Order: sequence, then structure tokens, then C-alpha cells
Amino acid sequence: MSWLVKTLSTSVGKKLVMAVTGLFFCCFLVVHLLGNLTLYKGMETFNGYVDHLHALGPLIRVAEVLMLVFALVHVTTGLMLTYQNYMSRPVKYQMNKSGGGRTLGSATMPYTGIVLIFFVIAHLLGFHFADHETQTVYDIVSHAFSDPVVVGYYVVAMLVVAVHVSHGFWSAFQSLGVNHEKYNPAIKALALVFSLVVGAGFGLIPVYMSLFI
Amino acid sequence: MSLNSNIPEGPLHEKWDRHKFKLKLVNPANKRKYTVLVVGSGLAGASASASLAELGYNVKTFCMQDSPRRAHSIAAQGGINAAKNYQNDGDSVQRLFYDTIKGGDFRAREANVYRLAQISSNIIDQCVAQGVPFAREYGGLLANRSFGGAQVSRTFYARGQTGQQLLLGAYGALSRQIAAKKVTMFTRRDMLELVLVDGKAKGIITRNLITGEIEKHVGDAVVLATGGYGNVFFLSTNAMACNVSAAMRAYKKGAFFANPCYTQIHPTCIPVHGDYQSKLTLMSESLRNDGRVWVPKNPGDKRKPNEIPDQDRFYFLEEKYPSFGNLVPRDVASRNAKEQCDAGRGVGETGYAVYLDFKEAIARDGEDVIKRKYGNLFAMYEKITADNPYKTPMMIYPASHYAMGGLWVDYNLMSNVPGLFVLGEANFSDHGANRLGASALMQGLADGYFIIPYTIGGYLAGEGSSTVSVTDSAFGEAAAQVEQTMDTLLSIKGKRTCDDIHRELGKILWDYCGMARNDEGLEKAKHLVNDLRKEFWTNVTVPGSKSELNQSLEKAGRVAEFLDFADLLLEDASSRKESCGSHLNEAYQTEENEARRDDENFTYVAAWGYAGKEKKAQLNKEPLVFENVTLSQRSYK
Amino acid sequence: MTKTINLTLKVWRQKNSQAKGNLETYSAKNISTDMSFLEMMDVVNETLILEGKDPITFDHDCREGICGMCGAVVNGRAHGPEKGTTLCQLHMRHFSDGDVVVVEPFRSRAFKVLKDLMVDRSGLDQIIQAGGYVSVNTGGAQDANAIPVPQKIADKAMDAAECIGCGACVASCPNASAMLFVGAKVSQLALLPQGKPEAKERVVSMISKMDELGFGNCSNERECEAECPKNISIENIARLNREFIKAGVK
Repeated sequence: MSWLVKTLSTSVGKKLVMAVTGLFFCCFLVVHLLGNLTLYKGMETFNGYVDHLHALGPLIRVAEVLMLVFALVHVTTGLMLTYQNYMSRPVKYQMNKSGGGRTLGSATMPYTGIVLIFFVIAHLLGFHFADHETQTVYDIVSHAFSDPVVVGYYVVAMLVVAVHVSHGFWSAFQSLGVNHEKYNPAIKALALVFSLVVGAGFGLIPVYMSLFI
Repeated sequence: MSLNSNIPEGPLHEKWDRHKFKLKLVNPANKRKYTVLVVGSGLAGASASASLAELGYNVKTFCMQDSPRRAHSIAAQGGINAAKNYQNDGDSVQRLFYDTIKGGDFRAREANVYRLAQISSNIIDQCVAQGVPFAREYGGLLANRSFGGAQVSRTFYARGQTGQQLLLGAYGALSRQIAAKKVTMFTRRDMLELVLVDGKAKGIITRNLITGEIEKHVGDAVVLATGGYGNVFFLSTNAMACNVSAAMRAYKKGAFFANPCYTQIHPTCIPVHGDYQSKLTLMSESLRNDGRVWVPKNPGDKRKPNEIPDQDRFYFLEEKYPSFGNLVPRDVASRNAKEQCDAGRGVGETGYAVYLDFKEAIARDGEDVIKRKYGNLFAMYEKITADNPYKTPMMIYPASHYAMGGLWVDYNLMSNVPGLFVLGEANFSDHGANRLGASALMQGLADGYFIIPYTIGGYLAGEGSSTVSVTDSAFGEAAAQVEQTMDTLLSIKGKRTCDDIHRELGKILWDYCGMARNDEGLEKAKHLVNDLRKEFWTNVTVPGSKSELNQSLEKAGRVAEFLDFADLLLEDASSRKESCGSHLNEAYQTEENEARRDDENFTYVAAWGYAGKEKKAQLNKEPLVFENVTLSQRSYK
Repeated sequence: MTKTINLTLKVWRQKNSQAKGNLETYSAKNISTDMSFLEMMDVVNETLILEGKDPITFDHDCREGICGMCGAVVNGRAHGPEKGTTLCQLHMRHFSDGDVVVVEPFRSRAFKVLKDLMVDRSGLDQIIQAGGYVSVNTGGAQDANAIPVPQKIADKAMDAAECIGCGACVASCPNASAMLFVGAKVSQLALLPQGKPEAKERVVSMISKMDELGFGNCSNERECEAECPKNISIENIARLNREFIKAGVK
């Protein structure tokens, strides 16, 4: 194991950890979004989907624990990198301009990341750890999104997610060494599409719920 | 004093082999008992340091920049010659040897040049093994181009950055030995004095450029690989810090300075365009493979180049030299450019430039091909001049580029001071009166990788390891001398800066001892330099102190040595009453304005010995003996 | 055609590595637009020397964009605002009369300021010493044409090898990371057959040296690529990552 720890504790190793865990969450987002799309079909379809998930039983528990571990790893590694990066230039420039490499997503990675930590906690408290005895998940969702403040808050959060993955998705490939003149345009295009789909897909649900339900 | 060049007996092609066999060897286990001081980290210095350390010697290497990778070898663009004959076009060791001897206008040693040609192939092998990314053909084999006056394609290149790639290869080898602790690297050091003990080179005094500390280093031999003196002209293609100080310190300690008047003026540089200018940028002469050199036929023709029709253009190289055309050797190309400008046909703001035109090559091969070959050079030209060479011809003019002269060395690359070896551009050995394109890299690496590792062993084995230490009085005296010079420089507090005086020195030498020289001008220049030296020592201003980082003080020390060196340059130029290669005395020309040699009286190496401050240097002659080539008038018609 | 401009310079002055520095204001008068940035600095320094003041210390040497010695952050950009250009090749025609120009040293924990604009970049040398070479002794190399190298591979290796080691990648990286520098060297040698035998040890050793020296981590912001005077691509960083993964897995 020591070679693994050694490898992953280097600067490049830490980036690999961020890339692998990050891509895992990208996959999760896809699955989550596909599930959530059932909301557009109405209460029954959605609750049916929820029941299917719950029927998986222990598998779901395993997935949850895995996600928790990955989340902890992603967050702690991210914080560690941010701290090290901050420390790597003790005297800052009096005047600093971009040469054109940075994007909104790349420049704000640590900040969007921190916002997302709080969002995820709040989201879990509001939905996952809500009272599931007396109400269906659909009830929880429709109730929550009846409040325009919650809707606004979710839309903003989803924009933050989109910005975060706009860099994270492409960046993960780069960190994993996938950068080839032939395929790179495709990866970059995919990253853009992915962030738009995630942002719009998740972001429109609360809007839809608040307007039409 | 008689000079023994130690050229081995036997037929030319066996000399080096025989010599290597005759040289004494140092037992592998004993090599670690010897310390070699290498000054300079360019191609010669880095390759020598690495190779000596690989053999087991302790090496201390010194460079003035922040990293050994910055040495000015890095700026060489065009390529490196080797007699590989990969192109099947009739190249051979004999041909490379002959081209080099002839290119040098028969003023170099046969044996040294032949050895260089023999070794040339090994250099390419070595560099490829180090991972130097030379240009390749589609099939994966190495590409070659013809270069600077050669009629075969024997030049290996890495885009327009061959020097950079070769230096990084040598720097890699050096870095490996630094990591192995066989080389101790001292960066940001100026060598300020050579220390002799019992007449032998046993150490150096350096200044730590960051702290100002004066340091004493002791060694069993000292290797100078400190480059050339082109910056004596102030404006040159050399880097800003290139200097002659180390060589001059050695000269003042008794080493002979050979052929200082052989200074190469490179034909294809970006012309001067203002008083503030700090350097001239070289455009690789590979450009002459595809570019056509011309001036307007009518003096004073102020039309834009693209508006001048072909019948009003004078392609002077092509017309005068039909068989070599634009590819004539550097000295010939430079002199012809000057001649045209002096006749009023020069172009550009100052009238001191000629066109180098790619229109025809672009029409023939397409812009893509030209871009592939010269893209980085064209981009550099555009950056500096804001002109696009794809659309309008480049303007070029000759500039001081390379020093064929240097410290005198024998066949072992050892100077007349025992234990002092001199490599690369800093020595005088292989290029005679004019160097061919792509031969400097070859010589630097040959000296460092393949000659010094053998010859230094021969010296050290005979010498035994040294018992000298830095407490020896010679070190104390040398250090005190260094301190005193700095104190003097700092105490003058005059009204002129070092650069100002250096610029004036450069102008004197360029005007009177540049591409063409005459006795009257040389005498005038001697007086002017003398006056300027007095001006320097009474009216220079150097701010700051010696015990801190002080770039002005570094400069002052260098200018002081350039001023002394200028005397030597002028003295050598005026004593050589002939023209040969880069040295053209206007009184000695053929009817076609070519250099006319006087083989009867001047077939010798002029090795100048120091006679003391303000005393005339003493001339020692090493006769050049040609047994294998017939001396002929160079002709590139 | 030549014209002249006047500028106000705000230059970082710092007596030595321990001292605290600050920006000082100088005026640069009658600057020809044909000058390079460093020639403009020469003019300012000549004036300072004649006024009996300490001239501005900066590193420079070849002044043709190849030695990698020069470099400063000009108006917030490493080597100034022109793409693919070292400071010595930046010409004053890219500035306008009356401009205020802020000049600061390259900054990174790993680059100590020695004086004014001069910094200590020996960390980059140490990274090379950790393995940025092919371990071959002089002599004994086989014929140069014994191993063919496809032209495309040789070209890619050369693209990476163009690195001049100036440190602009570190200076411009928001994290002061040296990944482009390391990536370029690792790539050059990993691409060529001559570098392959020790590819694994090389990448691991160079990265651990880089980490040890206190350079930051790469976060793929691409500022290095945007500011590199030799336009070296971050494709080389990806290749470095790939080589590192290969070394870890194998």
C-alpha cells in the first residue's frame, strides 16, 4: 500500500484523487438528474422511482457510504490543495492580470467548491434526512419548491454547480493525462455541454415545480 | 620563446589515435584525488565538466549566470557539422577537414582540424543518445542541410535552436553529475584571477556576484571555457555579459593570446537602428539557403523593396560568385555587403543594410515550407523590426559574432602555462582566420566531450596530485589584487558610465578594426583606445560597494579588460601585413577585392605574450606547416 | 517609423533577499518605440547611475529570447503583454505615451527575490538534477541513425524541448506551480526512444523534487500556457500526468 499512499500524496497524486472523485460525482450527477427528470411525469412516476431505489436496500447503503467517503476525500484534498496553493506565493503581485488561460470556472474552483459543501449539507438535511414517515419524497420536493426563496436558492446553487463542473469535468481529464490534439476539442465540448445540461437540468426542476405544481 | 604545439608524429589520419595511445593514463581509483576547475558552462565547459566527472575526477564548475543552461552557446541557431555522409553526397572526414582549413584561409593547424573532423561524427551520436531532438526526415532518420559555404549537406539542426538543444543536452549531463556530487556547481560567479603556483595553474579567484564575497578555489588543473571576445565591439551578437576577462587574466599571468585580429563579422544580422541599442540580433545564415541578397542598382534608390523591379536590383553575391552565390563564406558575404553600402547602395534608415529576399523561395516552395524551415527566425525578425519578412524582404547587415582568436593552446588544448587548458571559442585552435558556419558547436563539443578527457589525464598523470592549498601565499596575493582593482574602480566616481565608455570603445574598433582595416586607421585607433583607457580610469562612475550585488561593478571590471584587450587586437591586426579570412587589410587585396595572403611571411600563429602594464605585447610565432593541403587562393566564383 | 514616448515606471525595489521591498516611481523619457523593454530599462539605469543612485538590478543576457535569463511581471503579466515573447523581445511600440508601467519580480515561494527584479530560480535546476536527462556517459553511443524516430514524434519532442527555463510559467500560475516546466522536460524525454528506459524513475523523482521545493499544485488554469514565451502547450502537463500514472501503476 505504501506505494499508493506515496503516489497519491504527491502534488500530481492529489490532482489524480480530485479527478477520480470528481468524475465519480459527475457520474452521480447524471444518475441523479435522470432520476429527477421523472418529476416532470408527475407524482406517481417520481415516487415509483424512489421506491425502486429504496428496494435496492443494502446496495443503496453501500453507495451512500462510498459517496460519503469520496465526498470527504474530495473536500479534504481540495482544501489541502487550496491551502498549499495559497502558501506557494507568500508575497502577492501588486498588479495581476490573466494572460487568457483562466476561465470563470477555473478561477473560482475553491470558492464554488466551498459553496457546494454547504449546499450539499443543506440539501441532505432538507431532503435526505427529512421526515420520510409521514410524507413521500414527492411531498417534500413539492413543498420545498413552493417557497420562492428556496427555488431561488436552488437555482443559484445549480448555477454554482454548473460553473464548478465547467472546469472540473475538463480538468479531470487533463489531470488523468487525457489530452490529445485529436480528442481534446471533443472533451472540451463535452465539458461545456455537461455543465449546461447539469445546470439547466437541475436548475429548471425547482422552477417547473414552483410554477406548474 | 619557442612554442611547442606538441603535434604528434605520423600521417594525418593516425595522429590522434597515436597520441591517445601515447598519453599517460590516470588510474581509475586515483582520479578522485584530482580536482579540476572548469570556468564556463557553455558547450565546451558543460561537456568537459560532465565528461571529466564521469571519469571520476572531482570537478568544480563556475558560471556567471544563475544557471549553467544560460551560457551563450544557447543562442547558436543554424546547426552543427559532422562528416557523417548520411546524405550520400560525397562528404568525408577529409572533405570536412579540407573545407574547414580552406574556410579558415589556411591559418589553422592541420592536425587539430583533422582531429576535429574525425570526432565530429561521435558528437552527433552522443547528442542523439542524450535525447537531443534533431530534425528528422519522414522515415525517422536524421535530416541535414547545407550551410555556410559547404557544398555538401552535413549540418544537423534542431529548428533554429540547435545551440540551445545541444547545450541542454550537455547541461543534462552536467546536471546528472551535480546530482551525483561529482561536480560542484558554482553559479553567479565571476572569475577574477588565475592563480599560479610554481608557474603552474593551480587555482582561481572568484567573486560571488550575489554576496560580493571573494572566494579562493584550488585545483590540479584549470580549464577555461569562457567564450569569445566579440563584445569588445560593444554591439555584437554575443550576450550582454560575454567578456574576455578570464582570458585576459590568464594572459596577464603569462598565457599567450593567439590571433586576436581574427574576429568574425557575421553577414546576416538585424541592422543597427539607434544609439540606445544594446546588442545586434543574428539571423541564422541558414536563411541564405533560400534568401537572395540584393541592393538597388542605383545608389540612393528610395523606392520600397517590392516596388523595385528585377532589372533595377543588384544580386551582388549571385553575380560575383556564380557557383556559391548567396552561400559564400561569412567573411566574403560580410565584406561584400559593406562594399555595396559604402558605394551608396545600402538601404534602410541608416543606409547600412542590404535586402535578404524570400519572395522567390516562397513562390517556389510555398509559404508553409518556408515557415517550417525558418518560422521562428521570421517571427523573431518581425518582433524586433515590426516588418513581416513573408511580405517584404528582410534587411540585414554584418555584426561582430565570433572570435577565432583566443588563448594559445597546443594539441592537448593546454596553453603555454602548464595546467591551464582552454576550450571552445576561448582558444584559437581550429578555425584559422575565419570560421565556417555550424563549426563552432562542433568544436566546443569536440573539445569538451572527446579531447580534454584524454589530454588532461596525460597532464595530471605526469603531475601527480597537488599539495597546494588556499592558504598558499599565491592565493592571498591574487585575492588582494582583485580587491584592490575593485576599490580603485569604486573610488573614481567620475562622470561617465561603463556602458558609455564601452560603447565608445566598440565604435572605435568597429570603424577602424572591423570588416576592413588599414594601417593608418589602426594607428589612429591605438591612440583613441589609449585615450579612452585613461578616460575610463579617471572618469568612470561605479555606484554601490563591492560587498553586495553590484551589476555596475561587474560591468566595470569587464570593460577594463576589454580596453586592455583592444590594444592586443589592434596590435595583432597591424602586425599582420596581409589579408586572410576575416582579417582584411585594404592594402592587401586581389583585383577582385578578396583577401590576399602572404604565405611566405605570415603562415604563422601570432601568439602574444604579456610584457607588463603599458608595455607592448611580445610577439611569438608558431609556424604553420601544411603537409597535406596545398595553399591556394580561396575562390568561391 | 521611430517615434518616442514618455512613461511612468513603478518598479519593485528591494535591497536584498531579507529586506522589505516596495514599488518606486521613475520616469522614462524620450523612449524610442524601437527599443526593447530592457533597452528602456538600460536608459533608466544610465540616468540613475549619473544621478548617483542605485540602478535597478535585473537579470538579462542574450537579449534575443533564448537564454531564459530575463523576466519580470510587467503590468500584471509575466514577460509583459505580448504573447510568446520574452521581456527582452518585448518592444516599446506596444506601449503608448503616458502609460504607467508596473514592473515586479517573478513571485513564488520557490523563487526568492535576490535584489529588485532579480530572483533565485535555482529550484528549476534542482528539478533537472533530479532526473531531467538521459543517463548516458560520454562515449559508447551507437550510431545516431540506429534508432529511427518518426518525424512527428521528434517534432513533438522538440516542441517541448523549446523550454528556455525562464520561470514565466511559475510566475504566471495562480498557484506558482512549475508543472509546465517539468512537463516539458518529462515529455521531451518520454517521447524519444532514448529517454524511455528511465522514464519511470525520472517522472517520480522530478515531481517529488518539485513538491519538496514548495512550488504549488497545478489546477489546470492554463495561465502558464498563455504566458509561456515559447508557447509550450499544457498537452505536456497531461503527458506528465500520464507518465506519472504509468510509473505508479507499473
